[in-house]
Amino acid sequence: MRICTRFLCLFAFISTAWLSPSAFSSGFPTDFAVDPSVVNLTLEPKVVVNSGKLEWVPFSRDLTPWVSLSYADKRPAAKPRQVKLVEPLQGDPVRGRALAMARDKGYCIVCHQLPGEQWAGTVGALLLSFKKHKYPDELVFQQIFDSRVFNPISVMPPYGTFGILNEQEIRDLVAYLQSLD
Amino acid sequence: MKLTFPLLLLLVVASQPATSATAPYREFDPMEDYLPHVKGDMSLSGSYKHWKDPANLDWRMAGSPDENWKLNWKFMDPPFNASVHGGHFAADRGEEIFHELNRKVGRFGKFAICLGARKGNLKGLRSQYPMYRKDLKRVAGLEEVIEHCAAKEGRELQNGSYDNSAVSVYVASQSTGMPIKINVTANGPLKAAYERGRKVFHARAGRINLACSSCHTYQIGLHLRGTVVTSPYGDVAHYPVYRTRYQLQSLHLRFVECNLATRTQPLKPGSQAYTDIEVFLTGLTNGYPVSVPSERD
Ligand code: HEC
Ligand code: HEC
Repeated sequence: MRICTRFLCLFAFISTAWLSPSAFSSGFPTDFAVDPSVVNLTLEPKVVVNSGKLEWVPFSRDLTPWVSLSYADKRPAAKPRQVKLVEPLQGDPVRGRALAMARDKGYCIVCHQLPGEQWAGTVGALLLSFKKHKYPDELVFQQIFDSRVFNPISVMPPYGTFGILNEQEIRDLVAYLQSLD
Repeated sequence: MKLTFPLLLLLVVASQPATSATAPYREFDPMEDYLPHVKGDMSLSGSYKHWKDPANLDWRMAGSPDENWKLNWKFMDPPFNASVHGGHFAADRGEEIFHELNRKVGRFGKFAICLGARKGNLKGLRSQYPMYRKDLKRVAGLEEVIEHCAAKEGRELQNGSYDNSAVSVYVASQSTGMPIKINVTANGPLKAAYERGRKVFHARAGRINLACSSCHTYQIGLHLRGTVVTSPYGDVAHYPVYRTRYQLQSLHLRFVECNLATRTQPLKPGSQAYTDIEVFLTGLTNGYPVSVPSERD
């Protein structure tokens, strides 16, 4: 086991504190599409032909922990976080590639071009032959953990700060990118 | 000094900002100015010149996957798209329900009057929504008002349901070809809703921290995997829309779809935030003709 670094222990604490749905002391905002009796809480609509009722079915994941557009949602969003990568990297590039493709993990492919994939996104920078940049691991780690530190209006998700990827997963992604010839 | 874990907890708790009175920490995309008229797209994406004349679009562009985003998908709207699809069946269903509800009281149908039709005539009504409703004491979209007026006639037409959207398509079809025209520049509730909507449109939210504008203002023409983001100008004119992969979809259910796709907790149709976004997007559609029944992928 890796020893808990001070920055990442801090992160682990904050994300659990802030992800707690109990942030709503008196139940969810009334305009949330939720059902407190289903496991994932979040609902998605189902339009039924020739019916005056809109049906709602459980969505595949619980989205209530993150801030919404509801005016009754007064929770703060997580602020940008600077983190320090403790070397050695010890990332697994094969797992990293899988994370880059996975819909609810990295899904980097939606914005970035990566080798061997059709239908890549063109929003982010090309990540083909990434190795040639010779970026330090630490920089790449921070870019994935929370890119807002470099660019406050970055559209790249703050994977670490928002609890989408854990520390090891980010290490795996760094190892994967650094392996791209 | 080496910080210990319990000490860190203390520091974190101590540094939480006071929650009273202060607004919660939120992030916004750079707040773009928009001209509340469809021609404002010329300074956003510049694609408007390709779709401003709905009857005469460039066939060649429509057939080219690299270029068809520049038509803002208007090639699936009437009159360019002359095929019969689910939107037409919805319009028929909506017409039937409309007449069932529109009992005559005196010279005019009560349901049509409740919707805001002068002398019961639906022509041009769609172009004026969303509007401020005295009875609801707020700005409301057509679907919310359909739900409200149907309830008065004892019929449940939930906002977002097939039958509600069907009535909305029918009502809109009576204004096909007439330009959207809402006034969001004169002081009043509509302008206030437009400004709130513009702000919500730029508000980051959800698990991956995106705003509507992150895609719809700042990534127009770029690929997100297989899809290309198009201009937000002119979008509301074809709603409710028949989705070939989905079903009949109201505008607020489209917002739900984009929220879910970006892993943001969706809101119920008719929620104030969604209505404000609707007013904002309708402002950006001013001057563009109502185009139903329409379909989209
Ligand atoms: C929503 C779109 C989006 C997603 C998803 C995304 N990125 Fe990015 N990425 C960007 C943008 C835009 C930039 C340009 C810099 C910025 O704005 O932060 C960027 C920049 C980068 C850079 C810096 C590239 C350079 O040469 O400067 C790296 C490395 C990177 N992204 C890795 C990733 C990885 C790994 C993932 C998946 C875990 C990912 N990105 C997911 C949009 C995205
Ligand atoms: C990750 C990018 C992304 C985000 C964020 C996003 N959307 Fe979308 N949206 C799309 C894509 C892609 C489409 C389909 C292509 C198009 O019409 O632009 C779409 C389609 C739409 C449409 C239908 C357009 C039409 O012509 O029928 C509307 C309306 C819309 N989005 C509104 C919103 C609103 C409101 C938000 C914020 C709550 C939002 N979107 C957030 C990507 C996004």
